[in-house]
This record gives sequence, C-alpha cells and structure tokens, in this order.
Amino acid sequence: MPSPNAVLLLSFVLFSIGAAGVLVRRNVLVMLMSAELMLNAANIVLIAFARHSGTVAGQAFALLVMGFAAAEVAVGLALVVALYRKRDTVNADDLDLLKG
Amino acid sequence: MDALLASIGKNLFLVFGLLACGGSLAMVGSRSAVHSVLGFLFAMLNVAGCFLSLGAEFLGMAQILVYAGGIVVLFLFVVMLVELSRAKNRDQSVFAGQARAVLPVVLAGIAALAVVVKDAAFGAASPQALVLRPGIAEGLDVARNNAQAVSRGLFADYLLPFEVLSVILLVALVGAVALAKSERV
Repeated sequence: MPSPNAVLLLSFVLFSIGAAGVLVRRNVLVMLMSAELMLNAANIVLIAFARHSGTVAGQAFALLVMGFAAAEVAVGLALVVALYRKRDTVNADDLDLLKG
Repeated sequence: MDALLASIGKNLFLVFGLLACGGSLAMVGSRSAVHSVLGFLFAMLNVAGCFLSLGAEFLGMAQILVYAGGIVVLFLFVVMLVELSRAKNRDQSVFAGQARAVLPVVLAGIAALAVVVKDAAFGAASPQALVLRPGIAEGLDVARNNAQAVSRGLFADYLLPFEVLSVILLVALVGAVALAKSERV
C-alpha cells in the first residue's frame, strides 16, 4: 500500500502534465487527450482515498468519471471531425472566427 | 536479484506511476499525433496498473477495457482520418524496419513483468481493502470480490448518478452521430 503522499504527488504530476498539454499544444486532438489525462489523475486520488477510508464511494465515483470521460471523448472527437470538414485544420490557432 | 524483484513488487504503484508519467510526457512532447496517441495508450495502461496496485481490481480492468479498447481506438481513427495526408511522407518507414528488433524486447518485458507481478497478483488478498455497510455486504467476501463489492455499493447508494450517467451517454451517442455525419446525406 503506497503512502498517501506518494499518491497525491503522482496525481499532481499527471494533472500538471495534462494541464500543460492543454495549454501548450495547439493540436486539438492532443488537447483532448490531455484533458483525459487530467480526469485520470483525479480518478487516482479518488481510488486512493477509497482505499484509505475503506468505503466504496470513491470507487463508485471513479467508475462514473470514467463513463463521463467516454461521453466527453465521443462528443469531442465528433466536433474535431466536423471542424476538419468545415475548416480543413485541427490547429487551435487557426480557429479565430470570434477574434475582433 | 530476488531482493530487487521483491522491492519492485512492493512498490508497484511507484513503478506504474513513473511509467505513466513517462507515457504522458511522450504524449505531450511528440511531434506526430500518432505517437501522441501511443504515449496516451501507454499512460492509460499504467494508470490501470496504479488502480490495480491500489486494490481496485474492477476499476483497473474497466480502465483497460474503456481506454485501450475504446477511447484510444477512437482517437486513432480520427488521427488517421485527419492527420494522414500531412504525415504520409514522414511516417511511412518508422515501424517497418524495427519490427524484428521490437518483438523480443516486448516478449522479454512481458516475461519480466510476469515474474514481478506473480506474487502481487496471486498472493493473499490484503485485509480491509473495502468495507461495505452490514446491510449490503451480506454473504460476500468483500476482500476477494472487488467487482461484486463495488456493484453492491454503486447500486445501493449511487443509483441516481448511475442512471444520470446512462442518459448522458445516450445523449453523447446521439450528439456524436449528429455532429459527425456529413450534411448532404
């Protein structure tokens, strides 16, 4: 059983890598994957605390988060495909229709 | 050698965690989107290993099924659809020449992992991984039947979020089809 600090540290590192990916990369697909990574970092903490407290709530919510992540990916990838059809790009910098 | 393997087996969470960090760094840092998806797959499999080493066997397996089986394949489809025209001239010969060298390395890795994981996977179940309320834990060995324990907790206490999730998945399914279909048909 790993110590709580190790779990929190790992989750923090994974979440930061995901946040950095969303902020730094300009490819919409990689940004979506980084968002998934952040959800997984949260899942690790949920499961670790479920393990510590011995209750089932954390594992149940981690399962629900997994389902929400799947729904998010389905809609996000459909948006990417529609975007590619309309604008012929997946680069976030090219999407400046709302820029004044 | 035995001491090294034993210490690795005791710290499986850290091993999987470091590998997950490496995979996610490869995901963020790689230039080609296909390599990004492969790094994402590696990171998700190692997160599943973290779940397993935290005593959530059902969730670890669900993670492998949902991510490696569903989401990564979906990402790969879209990457192939969107990025293929740009990456064609560059990525053609990346894997063809290396396949012969990669296979023994992968097999050796699997064998080493089997040796390391053997004790952790087939050893005694850890006590008190999960404690259910007395009312819903009747006639169930909670420490050994993680899937049944999670499902009893889920359907006893969290039925409403579960049903809401099913409605959201249905909406996402219909929405994804409506968004992605071409407008002429």
